[in-house]
Amino acid sequence: MAEGPIHQFEIHKIFSLGHIGGQEIAFTNSSAYMFAAVGIISLLMIGGSAGRRLIPNRFQSVAELSYEFVANTLKSSVGEEGMKFFPFVFSLFMFILTANLIGIIPFTFTVTSHLIVTLALALLVFVTVLLYGLYKNGLKFFKLFVPSGVPIYILPLITVIEVISFLSRPVSHSVRLFANMLAGHITLKVFAGFIASLGALGAVGIFGAALPLAMTTALTGLELLVAFLQAYVFTILTCIYLNDALHPGH
Amino acid sequence: MTRMDQSDGGNGAANASAMARGFRLSSELIAGVLVGAVIGWGFDRLLSTSPWGLIVFFLLGFVAGVINVMRAAGVASRGTPDRS
Repeated sequence: MAEGPIHQFEIHKIFSLGHIGGQEIAFTNSSAYMFAAVGIISLLMIGGSAGRRLIPNRFQSVAELSYEFVANTLKSSVGEEGMKFFPFVFSLFMFILTANLIGIIPFTFTVTSHLIVTLALALLVFVTVLLYGLYKNGLKFFKLFVPSGVPIYILPLITVIEVISFLSRPVSHSVRLFANMLAGHITLKVFAGFIASLGALGAVGIFGAALPLAMTTALTGLELLVAFLQAYVFTILTCIYLNDALHPGH
Repeated sequence: MTRMDQSDGGNGAANASAMARGFRLSSELIAGVLVGAVIGWGFDRLLSTSPWGLIVFFLLGFVAGVINVMRAAGVASRGTPDRS
């Protein structure tokens, strides 16, 4: 193996943007891939909606499909009023999906395989839910922590448990995406490494190397699915959490 | 989630879907325990009640984690039918 399976997650500085309080603010390969993801999405959506054909071409079709997909997900779990969050949810979905898909291409960097990135996205959702819930419902938002129909003597205990459950949301929300991408990419790299080390063993090794090669091919397909599935799971959980902000204590 | 689980277009899809579900449930439990432990630790640090805060909140965090898992699996709900 030329490089360890962790090497692909290393962050390199491309150029420095200056210092803030003694801390260097650098433009890294991670930032570059984030910009790439945003660029691809913008290209797809702006390019797809430029034609405005009645019978869409492929480009427009992809843009329309992704719109419909996110809009349906949002409507089915939050309802019609949830559409005011559509830009937010759609940006999240497209960003995660594109970042995940870019990461499958060999020699690229996967933005979502870093906990800090997924945590930032999850905290964005968490803070949005908290602030919008408080703004929309006022103190009634805290009914979220007080389930109805619970006897008064265990209510304090239940409330504490509900608060912990609420606070654990951004953790599970972010760790899920991060762990999936990290585990998938490490598995791929380890199996790909087997090909190289077996192939170096001579004639028998080359036949043996066919096995991990087949495995790597299969895993790449699986990763493609995981990339989409995790973006979808992140989106649907965002919708469920937003639903709590709009209708707490149902 | 349920819509995704039904669309098992082959073995690979079923595996990925099951793995996603497994990851989801385990991360819910771990998150609950972790947040409970962090709250307990912070509680102890601020009020110097060590180790009682950690003990109590670790257990409460475990309970919250189990509730999270039950909600994520659809065993317990908060009354919303679409929570899966």
